[in-house]
This record gives sequence, C-alpha cells and structure tokens, in this order.
Amino acid sequence: MPIIEVSGLAKEFGIGRAPLCALADVSFAVDKGCFITLVGPSGCGKSTLLQILAGLIPPTRGEARIDGERVCGPMPAKVGMVFQDPTLLPWKTALANIEFPLDLRGDERAARRKRCAALLELVGLTEFAEHYPHELSGGMRQRVAIARGLAQDPPLILMDEPFAALDEQTRTRMGHDLLEIWAKTGKTVFFITHSLSEAIYLSDAVLVMSARPGRIIEAIAIDFPRPRELDIIGSAAFGAIRNRIWHLIAEAR
Amino acid sequence: MRTALAGYLIFIIVLLGGWELAARLAVADPDLLPPPSAVGATLWQFLHDRRFLSDLALTANEVLVAFVIAAPLAISTGFLLGERLHLAETFNPLVHFILAVPQSIFLPVFILAFGIGFLEKVVFGITHAYFVILINSFAAVRSIPRPLVAAARVFGATRTQIYTRIYLPAMLPLVLTGLRLGMIFCIIGVLLAEMYASRRGVGQLIFDWGEGQQVPELIAGIVLISVLTIAVNEAMRLPELRLARFHTAAGAR
Repeated sequence: MPIIEVSGLAKEFGIGRAPLCALADVSFAVDKGCFITLVGPSGCGKSTLLQILAGLIPPTRGEARIDGERVCGPMPAKVGMVFQDPTLLPWKTALANIEFPLDLRGDERAARRKRCAALLELVGLTEFAEHYPHELSGGMRQRVAIARGLAQDPPLILMDEPFAALDEQTRTRMGHDLLEIWAKTGKTVFFITHSLSEAIYLSDAVLVMSARPGRIIEAIAIDFPRPRELDIIGSAAFGAIRNRIWHLIAEAR
Repeated sequence: MRTALAGYLIFIIVLLGGWELAARLAVADPDLLPPPSAVGATLWQFLHDRRFLSDLALTANEVLVAFVIAAPLAISTGFLLGERLHLAETFNPLVHFILAVPQSIFLPVFILAFGIGFLEKVVFGITHAYFVILINSFAAVRSIPRPLVAAARVFGATRTQIYTRIYLPAMLPLVLTGLRLGMIFCIIGVLLAEMYASRRGVGQLIFDWGEGQQVPELIAGIVLISVLTIAVNEAMRLPELRLARFHTAAGAR
C-alpha cells in the first residue's frame, strides 16, 4: 500500500498580476519502506512539493494523501522532516532539540529522554548530548536534525536537500550513514537533492521533475543490491543511469 | 577577567590619585575641581541626609513608574508591528522620525500639558523609553528565523507553542537589549525634566548646586548618579551576556 499518493497536484503563487505556476499536474505514489528521491533543475518546484506534503502550504489543485489521509496541515504523527538548514533551536542542547517534537506532543520527560538518547546513539552523537548547536559541526547538526525527524516515530521522513550545505566528504559519509539508519528503522524516506550521484546511490527509485512548472517526467528504478558500498558510484551501470537522468533534465528545460 | 579587574582598579587609583594631587597642588582651580577626598566626604554626608535620600527615592520612583508603564506598551507595539508588516510599512518611518528628533525640545510642551510634577516627569520618561524599546522588540520579531517556525509547525506545534517555545526565547536577547537601552533613556528623560523645571528630585538638586556654585555637592551628585546608572546598566546586561552565547556563530542555522 502506498504511503504517499499524489494526484493532479498543482500549485500557483499569486505574485502580482501573473500567477507563478510552480507545480503543474504532479501525480505519483510511493510505497511504504522505500527510499525515493526527487531530482530536477533548480527552481522546478521540488521544495514546494515537499512543503505541500509536509502540510505547510496548501495545493492550488489536486490532492496529496499520506497513509491514506488527505494532507490539509502538518501531520506530526505521520510525517517527520529534515530541512536544508538544520533548524535546531540554538538555546537547546542536542538532546533537548531531539526531544522537542515529543515535548510539543506532551510526552513525559523520562520516556522522551530515554527514546531520544537512543536516537542520539543511532546517529552516533551520544557524547554530544549536552552540546549546543553552535558547538557542533555542520554534519553533526544535520545528524541531530535527522534524529529529531525520527523522534515522533513517523512512518515517513521528508528530507529537503539535507546535505546540500555540507562538504563533499561529509556529504558522502552522511548519505552512507543515512542508508544504515533507514535500514534499521524501516522508514519511508522521500528525499530531495541536486546531486544525481547522491540520488542514485541512496534510492530505490529516482523521480525526475521537469523545469517549472514542475511535472514528474520519469520514474527510474535503481536496482543496485543493498547494502550498497560507495564503490558502485564508479561503476559503468551507475554512470549509465546518471547520464540518462542528466539528459532527461537537460531536455526538460 | 582577573587581569581586567586589576586593570580597572589601577585605573581608578591612578585617576583618583592624579585628581587629588592636581587639586592639592592647585594645578587645577580648586573652586572648579575639589579634591576627591572632599567629594568623598560630601558623598558620605549625602547618604545620611534625609532630604537628599528622599529626593533620590523620588527620582528613582519616577524612573521606575515610567519604565514599568513604557516597557509592556513598547514590547507589545514592537511585536504587533513585527507580526503585521503592512502596519510596519506605515509606522516604522514614523518611529524613526520621532527617534531622530531630540525629545528635549518638547519638554516645554509636556509642562504645558501635564504641569510640573510627578506626572510630567513620568510621561517624559515614558516617551524617552518607549521608542527605543519598540524598535528593539520589532527587530526581535523580525530576527526569528522563519525556518525554525516552519520546523516547529511540522512537528505539530500549536500557535501558542510557537509563541512560547520559539518566539519568546528567540526574541529574548534583543528585547533585553531594548529594555536596557530603554532604562537608560528613561533615566535621561526624568533627570532632564527635573533639571529643567522641578521642585524636587536629584536632577533639580544637581541643577541648583550648579547654579549656586556648590562644586563639591555638584561633583558628588554627578559621581553618585554615574555609579548608580552604571550599576543598573551592568545588572541588566548580565542576562544578555548569558544569552549571547546561543546566538553566536551559526547557532540559529
């Protein structure tokens, strides 16, 4: 059963007299437990689509359903999110930041402490529990943000270019670790990136979006066996897929 | 910290020693610059002088009443303008015009409107404190990173929770700065009003001592008020410094 069902989704922004059409007729479905990545030229509406899925903005037409329920606002029990900026609260420690979603929900202190300490361990930051965000590196902050996205134990995690601000090495490492976390937790991940290599390496399938107004022009299944090693990035099969996506995006402009 | 403290001590000792010497050797006109020992003795008398202490209490009272009225008014106006930008477009230029004009030129108008006395001093203190607290509160609202609010919404924060958990702590440092500056402006306003026209209060005493060429009293009054205002300022700066560490580096990102 699909966890994300999007049908006929369109979004127009009313700027001045000419409305800007960010998304035009987007339809797709994502099965439970999959790692799906969305790629496309910059400004094609990827982030808009994610914000609609997160319930932050309403669509102009069409609908999005998550776990069978129509999205008309944030659904914290079903959707966790990791943003491009870590968006951690600067006045809270790493552990307290991970606890924040549970705190909002009104969970008891002892229970949320226990769960969040486990999450901190999952992202490999146990020793940094009492550190404040400004005392952590960019990669560490994003790990905290991932743990926070998992805190309410939602079946779906949306990720909006979470590694875009990181350096190449950290980024590769984070991708690798994210796959491990994904395998351990069994979540569905819907991931946005500019990096085709990152998309192919991480995903079960890559959705390719056209330039604005955004539509899904192709869904490409990625069949490399798991667990994946970084070596596959250099393989001929990997290169062939990357070329194919590259041409799709270039032609879609 | 220790060396800085030692430095201050040495500076004060040298300053007082030099001053005493200059006065005793009559390098400076002793009528204009009495030695610190004489000023110190006058200060000591002040602290046992009922009349002086009651004037000091009156001035402090005027400042406190003005501040306690101005602060909540100014914070709520700043908050409102920060949240409703179409209002800010109209009113912000106005606030800046008002801040550009030296308020002292309005003092005669205040006296015509409110007479000479407690009310006039308080109102003059309020108008001095109000605008500077307002612009800082406005800036505090605008400084809240929008992605933090979006993240909180995705994790299920209610409107109230967004205000208490995100707005309040994020605004605190700038609001505190505004309050501290507002307190200084408030003191300026009240003292100015007392010096210009008053029957009571420290400002009036200082003005009279100047008129009557009672230099030791005059200098002692100046020293006392300087010390008191520095103490107030430093006390209000402590929480700001404590909070500042969260807002350094990329803490908010």
